Amino acid sequence: MAAESAKEFEALEAQAAALLGLFTRAGYEPVAPSIIQPADIFLDRVGEAIRNRTYVFNDLAGEELCLRPDLTVPVSRLYLERHPEAKVEARYCYNGPAFRFQPGGGSQAHPREFRQAGIESFGAEDREKADAETVLLAVEAVRGAGLKDYGLRFGDIGLFYALLDALDLPERWRLKLRHYFWRPPVFHVLLARLARGERPNGEGAGAELAATIGTEDVTRAEELVANYLETKGLPLAGNRTLAEIVERLLDLAADLRAQPLKKEMATVIDYYLAVSAKPKEAIDRIALVAKGAGIDLGDALAAETRRFERLIRDGLDLSNTIFATEFGRSLEYYSGLVFQIETRGRETLHIAGGGRYDGLLTDLGSPRAVPAVGSAIHTERLLAAIQGTPR
Amino acid sequence: MRAPLIIAIPSKGRLKDAAAETFQRAGLGLKRIGHERGYRGALEGVDNVEVAYLSAAEIVHQLRTGRVHLGVTGEDLIRETIADVSSSVEFLRPLGFGRADVIVGVPDCWVDVSRMADLEDVAAQFMREHGRRLRVATKYMNLTRRFFAAHGVAGYRIVESVGATEATPAAGTAELIVDITTTGTTLRANHLKLLEDGLILRSQAHLIAARRASWKPESVQLRDEIVQRLSKVPST
Repeated sequence: MAAESAKEFEALEAQAAALLGLFTRAGYEPVAPSIIQPADIFLDRVGEAIRNRTYVFNDLAGEELCLRPDLTVPVSRLYLERHPEAKVEARYCYNGPAFRFQPGGGSQAHPREFRQAGIESFGAEDREKADAETVLLAVEAVRGAGLKDYGLRFGDIGLFYALLDALDLPERWRLKLRHYFWRPPVFHVLLARLARGERPNGEGAGAELAATIGTEDVTRAEELVANYLETKGLPLAGNRTLAEIVERLLDLAADLRAQPLKKEMATVIDYYLAVSAKPKEAIDRIALVAKGAGIDLGDALAAETRRFERLIRDGLDLSNTIFATEFGRSLEYYSGLVFQIETRGRETLHIAGGGRYDGLLTDLGSPRAVPAVGSAIHTERLLAAIQGTPR
Repeated sequence: MRAPLIIAIPSKGRLKDAAAETFQRAGLGLKRIGHERGYRGALEGVDNVEVAYLSAAEIVHQLRTGRVHLGVTGEDLIRETIADVSSSVEFLRPLGFGRADVIVGVPDCWVDVSRMADLEDVAAQFMREHGRRLRVATKYMNLTRRFFAAHGVAGYRIVESVGATEATPAAGTAELIVDITTTGTTLRANHLKLLEDGLILRSQAHLIAARRASWKPESVQLRDEIVQRLSKVPST
């Protein structure tokens, strides 16, 4: 544990007991999933920020394993082990260690090993209600532990998807923008490239070949590319089939023929992703951006208004709250609401966070989609913030 | 009592021969102390310097921990092995040998791929079609991770490779590689091509100083003397 003194250990233990007590009284069943987890799902789905910081190793049988970098995935796997049909509603809570590599070596604010206490809710069909309950319980937990000065940050991945759906885009670009949303450094490069109408593949053999086969059907295109490879003496290697190479060349050909992404659309996306303000102001600004672009975000935006009205009605103080459209881009499994409780002051430290991840259980092998939402508290940081030690 | 300045030199291979030649030309001939196969030595022309003959990996390790003051090794190894390069070591002088480019190579039949940006699209397609991530064969795990992350490429996994890396795509044990190349001949012979923006690092051997070593005034003086003499050798 990151608690190095007996006193700190006792304080952490007492805090954990109080947190678990609160979660249990709220109807969440305590669970303790395995610390050692299969590596694949983490590497595939958690996103770059954590992917690079997961301790991965091979055991003596050659199996690729990891020390869990968070508890959401292990708890989700536990749910599926208990309920393979995934038809049951279940709520779990936990308190246990998680591990992340720290490039500069571990420090108190950024330990390699820390304990997460949290809640996960599976199968609750009323998503708006479950979202609100999760946020309220997380806030109640940190407040109950003694945290007074904190800020709240919200985002919503679903709203970005709604924006893409509302824009008049070729489907392959929509998929691409959705995919690259999770890679912020290249997202803007891609957007600018589409808007400039820049040829996606530069010059070179690929673009030439794409231009040649551009209007052919798939069978004819495959023949042409097979001939080309044969003539140039390029054997198929690297485990991709001819069909896969041709599929991408045809996409490329479509891009070459397509009109550039309309400048207004790139601007709308840029404006949308720049919104970061108090919730009401943020929602008004998003509405304005949408109106200016002549698009309708449907119920997605109205749901955002309902969310904050509901939280206020349930007694949440939103005075130190920001809604940021970009927020949540670091954890790839989020699909809707994302939120964070953070310290205020010189350095913003993430104390607790969470969100909705409706797609994750299907990726883990669930036979049906399972609505899921949860939140985890970084317990050492919570304790430090309460004790007021500068960390 | 150890010397006020310890310099680590590769104990074998091409790097050792090239280092010996460069130091010789700078008037700093490497002398072995004791019997022929000893692992300690001294420098001609400068007193009070101990030469430690070490393996390339050990040189990087001892530079990082500061157990030697100076070392001769490739930039690729330093950047691959040390997480906090700028706080651990200082690159004093490129030495003009041991040149190698660390590059991303893909099968040349991938005519739809010419840039890093294509790789993420291919990775998404590969996952759809084959149910797994692209495999990158390399011994440069950290350089690969950093470079791919900077280009937004995430749908891959690394398979560690310590020899004949360039043959792995043809053998079917990896889809692409990150490896060193000097002329590109080996790449072409293995039906691989370099991506347009796939140059990760242009590496060569450097004289490198360890920030964590104990730098007494005398050590600093000796370091400056060595750098000054090496700077008079035109780099090839």
